[in-house]
Amino acid sequence: MKIVVTVKLVPDTNAAKRIDPGTKRLVRTGLETVINPFDEYAIEAALQLKERLADGSTVTIFTMAPETAKETIRKALAMGADDAVMLSDAGLEGSDVWATSYAASQALKKIGFDLVIAGGLADDGNTGGVPGAVAEYLGVPALTNVRKIEEAGNGKLRAQRETDSGYQVVSGPLPSLITVTMAVGEPRYASLKGIMGAKKKTITAMALAELGLERAVGTDGAKTQVLEISAPKPREKARVVEAADGASGAQAIFEFLRERKLI
Amino acid sequence: MQHVIVFIEQRSGQTRKVTYELATEARKIADALGGKAHAVVLGAGAPAIAEQLKGYPLDVVHVAEDPDVDKYFLDPMVDYVEAVARETGPALILVPNTMLGRDVAGRLTARLEAGLLSDVTDFHFENGRAVGIAPKLQGSTVTGCTFKDSQYGIATVRPNAFSAQAGGSGAQVVPLAKPSGKQYALTIENDVEEATGEMGLEEAPVVVSGGRGLGGPEPFTTLLRPLADALGGAVGASRAAADAGWVPYSMQIGQTGKIVSPQLYIAVGISGAIQHKVGMQTSGTIVAINRDGAVPIADFADLMVVGDLFQIVPELTNLVTGAKAHA
Repeated sequence: MKIVVTVKLVPDTNAAKRIDPGTKRLVRTGLETVINPFDEYAIEAALQLKERLADGSTVTIFTMAPETAKETIRKALAMGADDAVMLSDAGLEGSDVWATSYAASQALKKIGFDLVIAGGLADDGNTGGVPGAVAEYLGVPALTNVRKIEEAGNGKLRAQRETDSGYQVVSGPLPSLITVTMAVGEPRYASLKGIMGAKKKTITAMALAELGLERAVGTDGAKTQVLEISAPKPREKARVVEAADGASGAQAIFEFLRERKLI
Repeated sequence: MQHVIVFIEQRSGQTRKVTYELATEARKIADALGGKAHAVVLGAGAPAIAEQLKGYPLDVVHVAEDPDVDKYFLDPMVDYVEAVARETGPALILVPNTMLGRDVAGRLTARLEAGLLSDVTDFHFENGRAVGIAPKLQGSTVTGCTFKDSQYGIATVRPNAFSAQAGGSGAQVVPLAKPSGKQYALTIENDVEEATGEMGLEEAPVVVSGGRGLGGPEPFTTLLRPLADALGGAVGASRAAADAGWVPYSMQIGQTGKIVSPQLYIAVGISGAIQHKVGMQTSGTIVAINRDGAVPIADFADLMVVGDLFQIVPELTNLVTGAKAHA
């Protein structure tokens, strides 16, 4: 079975970020990029499934990122993925959710798959909309928030998906696309052997011209437009209370909540 | 001109507070865009919700109590909402920024070839177009985005961002015809309610949240739950607490968990790493209780109480309970 994991590279959470006032886009130059934390769980789920099936199934990483991000993608290969495909093209810059989804789906069609695994949310844009839109363009079912893949193979898929109030067991066909939650298990660290092995694994470069897109992507194709960027209102400095005992600490909070009319 | 269509999330006739927030906001947006305010409510229990929505300032509530909605995952819902959108014409579709809402929004993005604005906390209007205001990049930036064309647009809206207000002259409730020729691929074999989750965490007016400082699962039930109950709120947790297995991940607040924006957020034994901050920094008032006053949360809390949480929380619960009893 061919498993493809979609990975987004995002600016490191702890890195300082800057928006270019002209383009109104994040300045990615010099910013350390990491694999979107949610996508690491998707990689973990794919590797677990590959190990469980132990039938020669493969895990391919797919990302849309500048070629400079190659080393970050190698981290996914070091975790145990077999190879990677990078769609790198200046024409993708400025893509919004729709344009990203459309371009990604056409690349995935070209790569081919039995199962696409995606993370539930992106760390920077926080839309969560891309996987569902990709599935639409691929014409495959989208099973979201999977916490456990019960069965995958022979054209069949059964999984447990999380809901706000519990879980559902859902079954469907393959090929399909799923998104996973953190409950699939903590992403593994790359072993030294994995890191060494990753250097020999193939990262295939792909460009937009190969996809024969019927619609514009990038800034021209985007359906949304950023009009303004601002910094959030800073909070006032905290009032600090050193509580000698439980009663005085509780009293301080109680009075504060009264002052703010929260009680 | 654009209409507004609200996707109503409901389960067996139970809905969320955000439903009424969106029903209220839909009117304002529809008036600003010169269109009508529609809502779509689907599945078992839908008519009861539609009846409640008559008390909100909507024009039309589309209803389908189709058993397929609860039998097959997501596809029937997407088909119905798409059908309503095609029937009304150009529209801004509002969905709650919840697990289900995000799923619906993503699928509609492709179906309607539409722009998607996510996690919107406010709207304003420029030249007859809606501009969605949303925090981005882990809250370090606030963006105002709009749709490039005047056809369809989709926005996921953060619960608690708008206030709900009943009113209007009574929406017209219209039954929806089943979209024809559809096949549904994903069968829900089993739908299990688990008592461990925290319903409505994203829209609770008060969240009492616990972290590593709690030292184990018990204090979530013995300390935090009584305080949350006294304040009429929900219980949340930091990633450290969820990773330790003390609470289910569905209670986790932060970058890899839920994003909440309550009027009051009480962080108990939580250091406030950026991963956590992302999930709660837009809360109205933030109170932190921690043994250590030098933790990161001191930088973005409104009140930082340095002390023993095991002593402070029960005393605070007593004070709140007492005040409520005398109110």
